[in-house]
Amino acid sequence: MKRLLIAIALVGRAALGQNAADGPILAAHGLDSSAFINMYVPAGAVRLIAWDRDSIVVRGQKSKHDRIFFGGGRQGVKMAVESPSGGDSEPSNLVVYIPRHGRVSVRTASANITGEGVAGTFNSSSGNIRLSGVVSSVEAESMNGSLDLDLTTPWLRARTGDGHLLIRGAPQDVDASTIGGTLDVIAPKVKRGQFVSVSGDIHWIGSPARGAVFDFSNHSGAVDLALTSTTSAALTLSSVSGDIENGFTRVRPIASPPRTVRFNLGGGDAHVSVRTFKGAIRVRPQ
Amino acid sequence: MTDQTTHLTEDDRQSAADGTLPVERRADVEAHLADCDACAADVARITELMKRTRDAMLAPPSETASLDDLWSPIRARIEASKVVSLGTGARPSNSRPLISLIVGGIAAALLLTAVMLRVRPSEPRTSATAQATPDTSVLRAVSDSATAYEAEAQILLDRLEIQRATMRPEARAAIDRNLHTVDVAIAELKDAIARDPNNPALRQLLATSYRQKVELLKRANAS
Repeated sequence: MKRLLIAIALVGRAALGQNAADGPILAAHGLDSSAFINMYVPAGAVRLIAWDRDSIVVRGQKSKHDRIFFGGGRQGVKMAVESPSGGDSEPSNLVVYIPRHGRVSVRTASANITGEGVAGTFNSSSGNIRLSGVVSSVEAESMNGSLDLDLTTPWLRARTGDGHLLIRGAPQDVDASTIGGTLDVIAPKVKRGQFVSVSGDIHWIGSPARGAVFDFSNHSGAVDLALTSTTSAALTLSSVSGDIENGFTRVRPIASPPRTVRFNLGGGDAHVSVRTFKGAIRVRPQ
Repeated sequence: MTDQTTHLTEDDRQSAADGTLPVERRADVEAHLADCDACAADVARITELMKRTRDAMLAPPSETASLDDLWSPIRARIEASKVVSLGTGARPSNSRPLISLIVGGIAAALLLTAVMLRVRPSEPRTSATAQATPDTSVLRAVSDSATAYEAEAQILLDRLEIQRATMRPEARAAIDRNLHTVDVAIAELKDAIARDPNNPALRQLLATSYRQKVELLKRANAS
């Protein structure tokens, strides 16, 4: 009875900071501020919101046939939407509030994931992942879903197969790759970046940060760098059989052996290396 | 007050050894040491230890082993226990294949990073640099890297085959589509390497493609 009262009080207190339009409260629990939250939502959508309270609150809608497994203690909880029959659960639409300094590990099959100020790992088979905010680190992967990562973070790792991968905001250390999907980067504060694709085009827009080190690699997709006039970088562009187009016509290449072009823009503060097998390389003023 | 049943305190024994006993304790302690063999032996041991320590500190540098002298045998032991680099076509150890692969993968990643850093431009504007001549160590490093990734990819493919029956059809289709894309790239790179085996750029691209394949298979296995 006492536990029930505490839970009701907790839910009542926690509910004050949320939007009732998110749906009814499905679960709630007190957590340490740095707790670990592990969740599995097969289908539908899950939206994760960081808040400045030491508790997790799950709102939303789920099928009446499915149930929410929820267990753990103050240091961490596990949560999953599951079908009692053991088969595929129906789509659910969840909004989960978690402590700002907590870490999540979210896995979905087809459910889309949205995160606001939430750090951790986000993994989906075919769902899209959209993350934003200021976080400690993020690892996001989807087999063929699209990723939109608008983050301020010291460390970001992102992978998708043939989905679209968009990186923006202010990540510092980025490791991003696609198989066939397009990779777009508009993130001027990246200090170290590795951008790889097999057949998807890679687009970089902006000016590399001072001292930044970028490595672009593609097999058959193009690599297109649209650089601002203030760019200060040493560029090495090499392709086995793809075209190399230098749109900075006033810049004299340092060296142009077969299939490799090297030149500096400005003082050459950043280092940019681009390699392709047969994809075209284009460097042009923005 | 000391006698043979109580023995000297640690403080008394240390003071007796280094000659710093207070005058008022000296008579009692010396009387005890004359009668107690255990305490006398202990004080003698401490005295000897202090003497050796003092001698070592006062000894000229030539009498102590130099760092260079110490380093040679240490270096020899490190060399003897070094992990041998993977040869082309090397297969993982039978006893611990997974651990070997992980270690191999890390080593390969480090080698690849080293290679990538090596080819980064560092020349000032004025230094015209021609295309690097093939460096055998670079070629070997990227070749080892590709080999390690290839072996790991095969293990992951085997695991995926077991899981395939339980996967959703759309997930299976997505995996197959992506695998096909990577395999086409790998085949093209292998053809190119067969025609131009000393081109390090081709081998770097091959290693990168294998890395893509390994990561794809890991995602597929985890989904």
